[in-house]
Amino acid sequence: MAAGLMTPLGAGAKLLTPAKPNVTILYTNDTHARLDPFPDNAVEFAGLGGIARRASLVKKIRSESRHVLLLDAGDVFQGTPWFDVYGGEVDLKLMSEMGYDAMAVGNHEFDRGPDGFAEAAQKARFPILAANYDASGTPMNEYLQRLIVKEFEGFRIGIFGLGIEFNGVVSPDLHGGVRHRDPIAWATGMTNSLRQYHKCDFIICLSHLGFQYGSGRMDDMTLAEKVAGIDLIIGGHTHTFLDYPVGVVNPDGDVTQITQMGHGGVRLGRIDLSFNERNQKYALSDRYYTIGEGTE
Amino acid sequence: MLIRKIILPLLFIGFISGCSHYSSSEERPDNKAVTATQYPEPDPEISKLLNTYRDSLHLQMGETIATIHDTLRFSKPESALGNLVADALRFRAGSELKQFVNIGVIGDSSFRLYLTPGDLTRMDVLEFMPYENHLVILKLKGERVMELANQVAELGGAPISGMRFRIDGDRARGVLVNAQTLNPAEEYLVATTSWAANGGDQFPALWDYSDRIDLHEVNVRELYIDYFKSRRNIHANRDGRIRS
Repeated sequence: MAAGLMTPLGAGAKLLTPAKPNVTILYTNDTHARLDPFPDNAVEFAGLGGIARRASLVKKIRSESRHVLLLDAGDVFQGTPWFDVYGGEVDLKLMSEMGYDAMAVGNHEFDRGPDGFAEAAQKARFPILAANYDASGTPMNEYLQRLIVKEFEGFRIGIFGLGIEFNGVVSPDLHGGVRHRDPIAWATGMTNSLRQYHKCDFIICLSHLGFQYGSGRMDDMTLAEKVAGIDLIIGGHTHTFLDYPVGVVNPDGDVTQITQMGHGGVRLGRIDLSFNERNQKYALSDRYYTIGEGTE
Repeated sequence: MLIRKIILPLLFIGFISGCSHYSSSEERPDNKAVTATQYPEPDPEISKLLNTYRDSLHLQMGETIATIHDTLRFSKPESALGNLVADALRFRAGSELKQFVNIGVIGDSSFRLYLTPGDLTRMDVLEFMPYENHLVILKLKGERVMELANQVAELGGAPISGMRFRIDGDRARGVLVNAQTLNPAEEYLVATTSWAANGGDQFPALWDYSDRIDLHEVNVRELYIDYFKSRRNIHANRDGRIRS
């Protein structure tokens, strides 16, 4: 089962089918207001990234693919002078233009408080997902959703978002009245709802929990191990460059894949998903693109 | 403050194979399947839209605040840029406190650019030091300051101000604070960032202080903007404060 899930559509795919994958999932995390490429005198990643180049790559992949989902795992805010001047609104505006389908809420989305978030979020024409944040009574509330469902040729993909625990990461004066709730309980609830009520065939968690800690703070590895039914965790927060997804056996004995694309928009992640007429996935392959290094 | 990046692609490979509940990386038939390819041409529509916001960005951030005359990079054991960033913390702490501050220290991982000759704008400085921190002044016992010197020595050198020493192996030798021999019984004032004082960075000696003053109103990014502005012309300047 695990080996089957890991089958890439690269060299080994000759044995499968030359047909295009049914859905292509593209994703970023922790872009941190890096709208322009890293400057030439950057200590790391000089000349890489840039939202316009990412947009152009996404456009190209859209032209080659049957269906594309474009997702982000949070921390769009903070990191360059763009954020100092515009507070995230330019990022959300441009992500809307590029056709992002959803994003998670990162801790830096609170850097200007719930009011600042709400002001920028007006520019987002895509859902912002945080199942385990209770923002009722705050200006953030109307801009947050728990889950969405996307359907492609009858194949239903459920997507929900998880946010990190505030303690030590977001100061109380910034998260305002927003309350954090247990990610395991809410992920279990979302997954059950998406599987049973929304009849989803594939579940994606957009997580800003972080890949892995040794400290007891909830992370994607623990989430994958404890919650049944999630197929793919697109993670963020720890800025981890995972060259390929890490598979974790979940309580059902299935494999939950975890991926994360570093930060700053240096990489665009890609997962291709194929399914049959009975909406059973039969292949999942992955790759990533480094934005601005060489040519296709 | 941004959480510092963790880049561990190579580490993960060893890590994964040592961990039983991962699906094994050996199952992967061909690592070339993930070979990165790129796409360099910016999308014209997104570029155009981004540029509509750029004028205001430049208006607010494009002001030239200093001129850089040499290429300035962080290096070990001592570098002109390291000296500058640590001096700036110490001098500002002194003027805020209206009292002599003995030492300034900050890890070079807090900085994301090196500086090249030409105009330095406000935007450059915000990129140079992207993290939201405030200035913190700690009162440390002399023995802690000795530990600090040793922790700097273990790193092979780090941005420091107000101290001079020689690195011998991974120990600091002949430690002077403000041109006087370090006295383990005396207390010293040390300027640093809230991040380092709160347990970030690589100087555990800072975490055991006898007193701490948080200057919440002195944002470290603004501190560097002010410092570059006041200097106007920036030249490489090393004084042999750390030798190896």
